[in-house]
Amino acid sequence: MSNYFNTLPLREKLNQLGVCEFMDSSEFADGVDALKGKKLVIIGCGAQGLNQGLNLRDSGLDVSYTLRKEAIDGKRDSWKNATENNFKVGTYEELIPSADILINLTPDKQHTAVVKAVMPLMKQGATLSYSHGFNIVEEGMQIRKDITVIMVAPKCPGSEVRAEYVRGFGVPTLIAVHPENDPQGKGLAQAKAYAVGTGGHKAGVLLSSFVAEVKSDLMGEQTILCGLLQTGSILSFDKMMEKGIDAGYASKLVQYGVEVITEALKQGGITAMMDRLSNPAKIKAFEISEELKNIMRPLFQKHQDDIMSGEFSKTMMEDWANGDKNLLKWRAETGETAFEKTPAGDVKINEQEYFDNYTLMVAFVRAGVELAFETMVQAGIKPESAYYESLHETPLIANTIARKKLFEMNRVISDTAEYGCYLFDQACKPLLKDFMKKVGTDLVGKNFNEGKDGGVDNKKLIEVNETIRTHQVEKVGAVLRRAMTAMKAIKTA
Amino acid sequence: MKKSIVHIQNLNLKYQSNLVFDDLSWAIQNGEQWVLYGASGSGKTSLAKAIAGLLEYSGEILINFDDKSKLPAKVLLVDSWYQFKNLEGVANFYYQQRYTSQQAKETLTVNAELMYFGKENHLAFADAEPILIALGFERLKNSQLIQLSSGEHKKLQLVKALWLKPQFLIIDQPYTGLDSASRENLNILLDDAATGGVQLVLISNDQALPSCINRFAEIKDGRLAIANEAFKISALPNGSLGEIPRFLREAPKYSSELIAKMVDVNISYGEKQVLKNIDWEVKAGEKWLLQGPNGSGKSTLLSLINGDHPQSYANKIYLFGNRRGSGESIWDIKQHIGLISPEFHWYFDNNSTVWGSIASGLYDSLGLFKTLPYSKTIEVDELIKFFGLTENKNDLFNTLPLGKQRLVLLARTIIKNPELLILDEPCQGLDHQQTQYFNQLIDELCTNGITVIYVGHYESQLPSCLEKRIFLEEGKVKLIEEIKKEKVQEHFELVL
Ligand SMILES: NC(=O)c1ccc[n+]([C@@H]2O[C@H](COP(=O)([O-])OP(=O)(O)OC[C@H]3O[C@@H](n4cnc5c(N)ncnc54)[C@H](OP(=O)(O)O)[C@@H]3O)[C@@H](O)[C@H]2O)c1
Repeated sequence: MSNYFNTLPLREKLNQLGVCEFMDSSEFADGVDALKGKKLVIIGCGAQGLNQGLNLRDSGLDVSYTLRKEAIDGKRDSWKNATENNFKVGTYEELIPSADILINLTPDKQHTAVVKAVMPLMKQGATLSYSHGFNIVEEGMQIRKDITVIMVAPKCPGSEVRAEYVRGFGVPTLIAVHPENDPQGKGLAQAKAYAVGTGGHKAGVLLSSFVAEVKSDLMGEQTILCGLLQTGSILSFDKMMEKGIDAGYASKLVQYGVEVITEALKQGGITAMMDRLSNPAKIKAFEISEELKNIMRPLFQKHQDDIMSGEFSKTMMEDWANGDKNLLKWRAETGETAFEKTPAGDVKINEQEYFDNYTLMVAFVRAGVELAFETMVQAGIKPESAYYESLHETPLIANTIARKKLFEMNRVISDTAEYGCYLFDQACKPLLKDFMKKVGTDLVGKNFNEGKDGGVDNKKLIEVNETIRTHQVEKVGAVLRRAMTAMKAIKTA
Repeated sequence: MKKSIVHIQNLNLKYQSNLVFDDLSWAIQNGEQWVLYGASGSGKTSLAKAIAGLLEYSGEILINFDDKSKLPAKVLLVDSWYQFKNLEGVANFYYQQRYTSQQAKETLTVNAELMYFGKENHLAFADAEPILIALGFERLKNSQLIQLSSGEHKKLQLVKALWLKPQFLIIDQPYTGLDSASRENLNILLDDAATGGVQLVLISNDQALPSCINRFAEIKDGRLAIANEAFKISALPNGSLGEIPRFLREAPKYSSELIAKMVDVNISYGEKQVLKNIDWEVKAGEKWLLQGPNGSGKSTLLSLINGDHPQSYANKIYLFGNRRGSGESIWDIKQHIGLISPEFHWYFDNNSTVWGSIASGLYDSLGLFKTLPYSKTIEVDELIKFFGLTENKNDLFNTLPLGKQRLVLLARTIIKNPELLILDEPCQGLDHQQTQYFNQLIDELCTNGITVIYVGHYESQLPSCLEKRIFLEEGKVKLIEEIKKEKVQEHFELVL
């Protein structure tokens, strides 16, 4: 198997990268009709598997689970999840031959093996669905020509997919049909019905392509979402230790700070986040984030280039073949950082204090979001896709850091994201060495406004505001956010 | 002369910029066990919080702990409205979560929680056993915190308090959500604690108090007035409620004569069976009272009707004429139903306005995601007026006092004039007058022929429209009977 994207002529590459359309709610008027009465069989009952299945069944669809034999015989958690919620569970042989829609929700790393095992059992003309396109795009998995291949990718963790559904809403979702596998032309109708079944249509659905989803998802997760949040958190904590700030306070500021700061992104983008700072702090954060963008731009570009060329997935798959040697080493190293090992202190930090005493993180977030967005768009990814994979997901990932620091973040995200995150972190830290030397406690650990008179130059402030507000990520974001204003605010401790 | 145990002088307290207490003074002497009562919003809870050091105040609160006592020198306040946290200390749960089996555990088990508490406070686990038994809690030891009902959470708080035996124990609304057997046992446990040297202050408008209670005070108009006995319920003048909006006077449009039918329904979590061989039929227009001790399976039973329980799919259940799992969505089911319960209240969207909260009932969503047609906005306004909430229309839900929040949720259940009203302990945590008003409202509202299932522990606190009773015990139907009208009336008047 070879990388699917690399087999395409340039024109087709650009064509598929550029698929991106925010769908009007009238597109979903038929509800789940296209899947009504059909047999939906889900492979795997983990975070996405269980929660998507609960939603699909609660939307009136016929859902059952097929698990690998070991999981059934061993009564593993996946088996318990499915049976205790009264789903029918069976082996591949028992359930797949009658499945109309087979939904693959196993970990990406297992996709090649799983799909090879299930494909011969699938009936003629059935549909195979994914929630992430890695297998198709990066591994070049070839699917039998009679089978329709679709993707329905919720842009949230599984628990959120369920929580938002039962309160009557949903999470933003990307859908796609693989152009090589749509023999009957029914792919789109089924993908739309599926998105209705999980509630995604209430929060906004983006019609994408396998290629666009994978290339943007990989880019977002390794750079801004996980990579930079990890680098920024570790460097900030180390800086505070160096300057003698109380360790418990520093740990709490960093652990919960990203979540509080990025919550503002959800409501009003970078503008809202920057507006939480005093005028002098905003100008300062703007200036250092410009500096950060210049320092990190080549690294962001390298990541995007490696993703596009397939170099990234090639090296990662080599590591898979090598028993995850690098991944495990980097994971262990992350577990050993001072930030990870210092428990958050029992101190109260109020909401505004997170902004005032952690201006550095605001700058990191602005730099990272804008850079990731700009780099993706330059590479041919449409702004709407780039928005979801950068700004939109940042608060969701920040929430996992607030729960249990970087370890939790790396546990929750996919193996692919974890690998890319470490890769970025390794390269980014040395790059920021000189920059960090200049950073003092006014930017991290203490109130930036302390001892300052608050005065700023009008012209300068207007200029800064203008630059922040007119960035393309803000314009696209304003439109997309309108569709999901109703999403519940993440609660902080 | 011996020093008083608690000495409060010139206490000033504010709540949301309103002055609650102005120069309050109060002393608790050795041997005195107190009950404080008063109307909702009178400041009882604020006073308790100030004493426990949880609220800012000015003035003096002195607590003289006894250094010879073996009991921990601590003030412990058991809250009336308790919200638990997950393993990471966040409270981000959703209502249906307790019915879903999920192997990735978000919360501790009761046992782990108690172990943790015991370790933190250096307590011997053996001492907790008798308390667990007295409150009927041992069988819940392996349950996840998320699976407990509000009454069970209350009990867990009480278990911890009685196990810790602090020198000074304040309990805000000790009986809310407790079934009557637990209530009696709680009083015995409290008497024991008092004999063992625990100083008690109970905040309660109830009359069936532990026998150790010997001092009473009413909190009213920012003062503490010493009284001779427990709170006496005075009958409310049966004032008229105003005219019910026209759209609610019309009979609900029934889609079927049969609202719900269960045939040999069984629900279990792993080894633990919570409902056993349930057969039950609810017909259009019937008014049911559903009763049973804490943990007997009442909420689970109701969750089957409301489309909230994943295990309904493997059971023989008919809702509104259709077999459950025959292709309907949960939204198809919910559109026939209005529901209120203490747990639902826990997870309700705190950030919506009163108007939005009520309007969201039209779509059965937590939060309002749609724009209402004009005719519906009029109905929301009419209902708000009828419930006397016009002034609060634009307030955020969570800034209202508990009683008003419940009114909002009741209005939300009725806004679509549903076929079925599920009122699961709608008055839990409300005082007698509020309860009376609330039940009077329900009686008025159901004259249009709506079907009702009402859960309530105390005979004295029920609406008079109820006609049939189903009683659960340990997950089984123990009894189904007609309620004799006079009987309810009689109970009702007895208390009044
Ligand atoms: N996590 C997210 O936030 C997120 C968001 C959007 C999309 N996705 C996508 O959703 C998919 C599933 O991710 P997830 O996070 O839900 O995974 P997960 O929680 O790790 O669950 C994986 C499930 O697959 C089963 N499984 C593992 N190896 C298997 C094998 N070799 N053969 C058969 N079954 C196997 C596991 O059960 P047993 O081990 O018991 O067999 C488990 O039930 C991925 O494609 C991912 O990219 C994830």
